[in-house]
Amino acid sequence: MKQIIQFLGLTALLFVFTGCSPSTETKKKGVIAYTPLTLSNPFFKVIGDNIKSEAEKNGYETVMVDPDMDVKKQSDQFDDFISQEVTAIILVPCDRLSIGPAVKAANEKGIPVFTVDAKCAAEGAIISGHVGTDNFQGGKLAGTAMINALGGNGGKVLILDFKKANSCVLRVNGFKEVIKTHNEQNPSEKIEIVAELDGNGARTEGYQSTADALQAHDDLAAVFAINDPSALGAYTAIEEAEKQNQIKIIGFDGQLDGKQAIKDGKVFADPIQHPDKMGRQIVQNIIKYLAGEEFEKETLIPATLYNKNSADKDPELK
Amino acid sequence: MKNFNYIQFLFDYGTLIVLVGLCFLFSYVTIEEQSPASTTSAELLAKVIKKDLTENNNIIVLARQGSEGKKFAEILTKKLIQYGINVHQTIVGQPADARKALINFGTSGSKLHGIAADKHMASFAGSNIGKISETFPNLSQTIIFQPNSYNWPNFLKRENLLNVMKQISVVAIIAIGMTMIIITAGIDLSVGSLIALSGVITALAIQSLGGDSPAMWHLWLGAIAGALVCGIIGMLTGGLVTIFRIPAFIATLGIMFIAKGLAFIFSESAPIPIANEAFGWLGRGRTFFGLPNSVILMLTLFFLAHILMNRTSIGRYIYAVGGNPEAARLSGVPVKWVLVFVYTLTGVLAGLGGVMEASLHITGDPKSGDLVELKVIAAVVVGGTSLAGGQGRIFGTLIGAFIIAVINNGMNLTGIESHMQKVIYGSVILIAVLIDQLKIHLMKLKKY
Repeated sequence: MKQIIQFLGLTALLFVFTGCSPSTETKKKGVIAYTPLTLSNPFFKVIGDNIKSEAEKNGYETVMVDPDMDVKKQSDQFDDFISQEVTAIILVPCDRLSIGPAVKAANEKGIPVFTVDAKCAAEGAIISGHVGTDNFQGGKLAGTAMINALGGNGGKVLILDFKKANSCVLRVNGFKEVIKTHNEQNPSEKIEIVAELDGNGARTEGYQSTADALQAHDDLAAVFAINDPSALGAYTAIEEAEKQNQIKIIGFDGQLDGKQAIKDGKVFADPIQHPDKMGRQIVQNIIKYLAGEEFEKETLIPATLYNKNSADKDPELK
Repeated sequence: MKNFNYIQFLFDYGTLIVLVGLCFLFSYVTIEEQSPASTTSAELLAKVIKKDLTENNNIIVLARQGSEGKKFAEILTKKLIQYGINVHQTIVGQPADARKALINFGTSGSKLHGIAADKHMASFAGSNIGKISETFPNLSQTIIFQPNSYNWPNFLKRENLLNVMKQISVVAIIAIGMTMIIITAGIDLSVGSLIALSGVITALAIQSLGGDSPAMWHLWLGAIAGALVCGIIGMLTGGLVTIFRIPAFIATLGIMFIAKGLAFIFSESAPIPIANEAFGWLGRGRTFFGLPNSVILMLTLFFLAHILMNRTSIGRYIYAVGGNPEAARLSGVPVKWVLVFVYTLTGVLAGLGGVMEASLHITGDPKSGDLVELKVIAAVVVGGTSLAGGQGRIFGTLIGAFIIAVINNGMNLTGIESHMQKVIYGSVILIAVLIDQLKIHLMKLKKY
């Protein structure tokens, strides 16, 4: 008997631990479900938090789950959403093709699916709307920032890219376009792209690729990295070679450590994305969809430039 | 004596109690207002409308797109016409379609007496009709009819319970083999990687056999190839463990890396689409009584495994090898063959799991199956099989798998934050194993 009591006690403890209680009966209009790539990346967490607050403002509840980059988990979550009969699903696909059957299952039940940040490319899967960053325009901002950073002298530039992600390819394309026009108009201040290496969007590879490039190009003047981790990796390599004063870095994203690096003068500037705006915008689009009103099927939110001035005024930073 | 009965009860049904407890808990916390768009609710709604409206009154029927909404709208429309009500239009679609229909009716100028809608469209109409009727006063006295709602747990809906079983089917099927391996005091860490390898091989085989439009038999051959290759790898693992006496943990760790690497090499790191939707039959299809095919396969395999373990000599051999391999050998049990058999069987089942996963996504994905081996081992251990070997029951493993599935599903339904989900998940596994330890401890007390 004692064992049973012990066991029940343990189970009860677990229940208390989870803090479960039946949802208080406030009259809500429905549930908006959100399954991003991963919640470990603060970018998607910020999107989620803003989805939640915007949804609440409009009388909707939010369910936020984490597929941990696993598409099997994500499609299981779709099944759960369907049996919960949620009002709408917001998705950042873990895999732009494999998530197709799950989206189709939601379509079949009449639940509208919206994507944020990354798109779903599966054939026959109906996506009711998309909100993302205008990465091409962000890349152009990076190009303009690069011209400013070099102060009209021109010089050799390294690009750390990440070709697997379409968004990062667009950033590099926008960057190159601005540099090309600049070179045509000011041939005396020519900016020469000497290498495009894979930084894998990560510190380790960003560091390695930059270290290699420094061996080949002693007089490198600047680096453009497609996100903050690879920009910070590049800084480590430059610091090791003691060339902080010679080489300028332009990053992308505006994650907290990237912003801090701008304040500390390690990185010159970042075009930053606005996950908060993305979260709010996608919910506003869903509300319009549900009211049967017109809305932009694809909304691209422009990136803005974040430099030392912005960092000095940023209350988030030390 | 009386005290002993309680303990015996705990021995036999401890994990079942956990499962039932979890089901009660999640039923309680997921109680919500339901108003399904079913055939019966459409008929009931038509009766209500008949009472409230008179013949030749105008009505518009609205339902959300999808098969459920379509059926609901069809039956509702048919009944209303029977009752002599003038169904002006039936819309199955998006809110935008419904708005267009209302505005169209508004311009006609005649009076709209009612809107009959499912839950979602009723919510649309409720929050928008006021604004629309400002422009079109002929819509200002429209009554919105929707099906009656009642309270019922989201967790206990038929569709959700089937979901729970469907979601765990791959893990549970592999756990059959894992149970046998763990009963022989071994372990297999390679099953997750075999899922990925099998999926990739299946997709590649279908692609190379059938090109852009593979036929049914190409799909079958591909699936068999996937399961077969994994069976051969399982046999190899068995050989490493028996002939070369490499500890199972190390042997399968090696195979785990090799199989994962091969999956990425063969697929060139990209998911391989399967060009025939019919391949989704196993993972997504429902052929008999509306039950998912993967669930039927899972239950059948468990039934067969139960017979194998309890009614055949190979079953008894497996227990004997785990209990005491030396004694088993001396009494004539072919220990090495038994071990090779269980590893091969697990390989085949992991391969089958890979085919099921590929079928679910209609894609062979080298990224799939990550960390599944740990889920499988958790299911077996939670189900009461001891890692020390010699003990364990097949149906215990099924219950263990269900416990894991119910926790996952329940936490998703209640929207528990994802990092907390992991903490709870780990705690439940520990509690289940704690019960197992308690069991062993009490058994010793009983003996001496």
